[in-house]
Amino acid sequence: MTWDSKLIKKAEEIIKLYPQKRSALGPLLYLAQNKEGYIDDDSVVEISNLLGITEVQVRSVASFYTMYKQEPTGKYLLSVCKSISCEINNSKEVIGGIKEFTGLSSNETDPEKTFTFEEVECIGACGGAPAVQVNYETIEGVTPEKALDLCKYLKEEEPKVIVADDLQEKFGGIKSFEWAIEDNSGTSTTAPGFQIIGTAEEN
Amino acid sequence: MSEEIKFTVNGTELEAKSGELLIEACENSGIHIPRFCWHKRLEPVGMCRMCLVEVETPRGKALVPSCTTEITEDLVVDTESEVVKKAQEGILEFLLINHPLDCPVCDKAGECPLQDQTMAYGPGESRFVEEKRHFEKPIPISEIILLDRERCILCARCTRFSDEISGDPLIEFIQRGNKTEVNTFPNEPFRSYFSGNTVQICPVGALTSTSYRFKARPWDLKSISSTCNCCSVGCSIELNTSQNKMLRILGEDNEFTNQGWLSDKGRYNFDYLHSENRVLNILEKNDDSFNEISTSEAIKKITSKVKELKNPNIKFLIGSHSTNEEYFVINQISNHLNKDKFLSKEKSNVYFCDDLLSRGYFEEKYTQATFEDLDKSETIVLWSEDIKDNLPVLYLRIKKAVRNGAKLIVFGHTNTAIAGLADFYFGKDVVSNNFDLMLNPAELKDFKNNVEGKRVTAIVGKAAVSQKKESLDKLVDYLNEISELKLFNSFSKGNTFGALQNIHEIKGLNEFSTEFDNEEKNIVFTIGVNPVNSSYFGKAIKENLIAADYVISLDLFINDTTELADLILPTTSLGEKEGTITNMEMRVMKQNKILPAPGSTLSEWEYLIGILNAMGINIEYKNEIEINADLVRDYSDKESLPTFDNLNKPSNLYGVINTKPINITTKDLKKQDFPLLMVRRLYGDSSTQINSPSISMLGSERFIELNSSTAEKYGISSKVGNFIQGSNSISIKIDINNLLPDDLVIAPINRRGFENIDPSKDFEITEARNREELSVN
Ligand code: SF4
Ligand code: FES
Ligand code: FES
Repeated sequence: MTWDSKLIKKAEEIIKLYPQKRSALGPLLYLAQNKEGYIDDDSVVEISNLLGITEVQVRSVASFYTMYKQEPTGKYLLSVCKSISCEINNSKEVIGGIKEFTGLSSNETDPEKTFTFEEVECIGACGGAPAVQVNYETIEGVTPEKALDLCKYLKEEEPKVIVADDLQEKFGGIKSFEWAIEDNSGTSTTAPGFQIIGTAEEN
Repeated sequence: MSEEIKFTVNGTELEAKSGELLIEACENSGIHIPRFCWHKRLEPVGMCRMCLVEVETPRGKALVPSCTTEITEDLVVDTESEVVKKAQEGILEFLLINHPLDCPVCDKAGECPLQDQTMAYGPGESRFVEEKRHFEKPIPISEIILLDRERCILCARCTRFSDEISGDPLIEFIQRGNKTEVNTFPNEPFRSYFSGNTVQICPVGALTSTSYRFKARPWDLKSISSTCNCCSVGCSIELNTSQNKMLRILGEDNEFTNQGWLSDKGRYNFDYLHSENRVLNILEKNDDSFNEISTSEAIKKITSKVKELKNPNIKFLIGSHSTNEEYFVINQISNHLNKDKFLSKEKSNVYFCDDLLSRGYFEEKYTQATFEDLDKSETIVLWSEDIKDNLPVLYLRIKKAVRNGAKLIVFGHTNTAIAGLADFYFGKDVVSNNFDLMLNPAELKDFKNNVEGKRVTAIVGKAAVSQKKESLDKLVDYLNEISELKLFNSFSKGNTFGALQNIHEIKGLNEFSTEFDNEEKNIVFTIGVNPVNSSYFGKAIKENLIAADYVISLDLFINDTTELADLILPTTSLGEKEGTITNMEMRVMKQNKILPAPGSTLSEWEYLIGILNAMGINIEYKNEIEINADLVRDYSDKESLPTFDNLNKPSNLYGVINTKPINITTKDLKKQDFPLLMVRRLYGDSSTQINSPSISMLGSERFIELNSSTAEKYGISSKVGNFIQGSNSISIKIDINNLLPDDLVIAPINRRGFENIDPSKDFEITEARNREELSVN
């Protein structure tokens, strides 16, 4: 048992939300990601037992979706969009700057485990291109300079909880639209912060 | 019933059933559409796009995959247009981008759909100059299956098979896009009883079996259709040989029985044919060693022994791997040799080696089932020995029926492996540890509701040697009364039903050991059996054989039974003899010969007729055809007699159902309350398996199963330990199975070490915390 009873209980609550157990696979993988920073084999075993499917079926899904990480991630996962809208709004330089600051190429993690950097396809923030995500919290209208400030801030201040609104204010530019009511919740791991599955954290 | 509708292909109007898939409808009308991923026994997925065809739509012609498109009225299809051809070329070009084209060293070459279809539909030239994917090759994904990932074209046939058909999805696609590969989870190998089917249906050489890899080229193979006799399902198979060696067995798609699939036991249990341990000459025991003698000498020895002993009892212990023709001759010799002694039911002298043989339900009031009935039934009721281990392909048929909506009701405690499929599992509250039915079936509401007035197929037989038949009677008679019942007598061993059909009176092993009288003169023939190693009665039989005046074994190997013989007559085996066998539906099917009899082996009947003739009894058969012509006479349906001629007709290729009267005499054991339930596993230590190197390791693990509270009682928390009874101590793996009732422990009867265990006696289980504490054996 690598998952403690609290986590198992959480998993069981999630499973109850679905008519079929195996439908809970996605959220449970986020629990694993939240716990370990990636989908480790022990969690796969745990999930397969919880859902009554085989380990390799779990691994199949976990390795298909890029948001489930197969290698340990750093504290901050920097995902920079390289798709078309961001590209024509200068994402190249944003990417270049971050690469230089962190010394990482796409899908790499630094030895200190501070940053994992990745170039990603459209993250649905085209209206505010170029866009960057830190642990899946989105910041829009990021200039190359602001991107560097963001990296410095993360490295030096090491904020525990990452909250989109907060970073948007500090490092963002134009926004595509006001997305929702302001909220203070974010994430403190490289799993996206979802209230319903318990990966969200209040600042 | 689905209606017939019209559609047009390449300008010709055709008919199909509505709802049928385009690719299948075309196939049925003789129009072949190339494909990789579509397989008629698997759900369509549309993975490969090789089957693209043009259909007319309101918005003009469009390319659609014919394997996921259902026929509709007046559909107009073009399977050969320029556009289709271009699509096919394109798809093949894409598929070949990452395919290594290592056909010269690939086992599939020569029978490879990718190779063949590239020839037929491909672009003919490659424009790909970039580096291809590389993988470590091959990786073993189980003890018997290898995977060359770079050859895989991602058709998902193997993964769908393991999920939909066999229900053990231990292989899956891992990663995505260009990196996608088939693989297992670390330390969770593809251990499936059915894994070999994936090798057969893989459209490239990505999956290979250790037993066939690099052994032959398909164009060098000779092949012949036959019938498997590993269990009484009677799967249709194709035997492949080269230079007089059996190299491979494939499943044939027999709509009525196996539908293309085989268990790995049936598929890979053949290397023994060419084992150096096989007995190829007649052996006579001299003190402790065996001498070779000739056939005529051997027959002389037997006849003079019979004379010398003056009217001895001559008994036959028979196994399940003989053909109907051989059983027919066994019946004749047994009758003739005991003319004055054993011609009544009580005095039969033929004993069939299956601990679970019972009188069964063959009377006219019971309707015998066929596998097709499973698909048509609303409810399937199962109470018998472990189906998955003993009738593996029947397990697949049940799984299929359940997937298509049949309800499954399982009675404990042997079929826990199938319980996951069951709608209702009746365990310890309903079935006692002695396998008594503790309630009146009518009191089981869920049971009653699902069988009353319903089409029911029941699979029934003794689940344990100690089970009283009466408990089954209760269930069967209730079902017969309130449902439309068809039933299978689930005798699982090879050609059991052929023996029942062709031997007038059959008894069980209980009868053999209780009737054996040391005071009398006894000659025992053992024919293709090793009860000393694999039966509850083994110990008693061993003593009987030691006490007997003369023992003659007709067999393939020296084993625990035949080593007690005075004379071993080496016999032929699968592929070396021709004959018919009968499966559990009473379907009589053909076994064919493709290999010469090795060494100086003869078929069982040849020895027996030789002996009869030497004793002055004039029965002459020159070959199996003549025996067959004789034995078919007593079949009840004269219209479709299972003669060789008849069975070789294309329309009867997959057998004819026909019956003969069946007489079995068995009594329940007196002893009850066995603390240990000994069950037969698919793999074990049979002479044929341990002499088949490619699968011999599969039967070596020793394990027991018990529930967690029983484990607690024994003070076991670790997963390994020792099983101890008297002076026997066996190191074991301990599996927790919480479907089992308290105080019942399951152990395999056919794993080494367990042949000396008496399930009616007490035993101990101790846990081992480290290697040193495990018994060495
Ligand atoms: S291994 Fe063979 S059967 Fe399995 S997906 Fe690849 S090509 Fe298809
Ligand atoms: S293109 Fe970058 S967010 Fe859509
Ligand atoms: S056969 Fe139709 S998509 Fe593969």
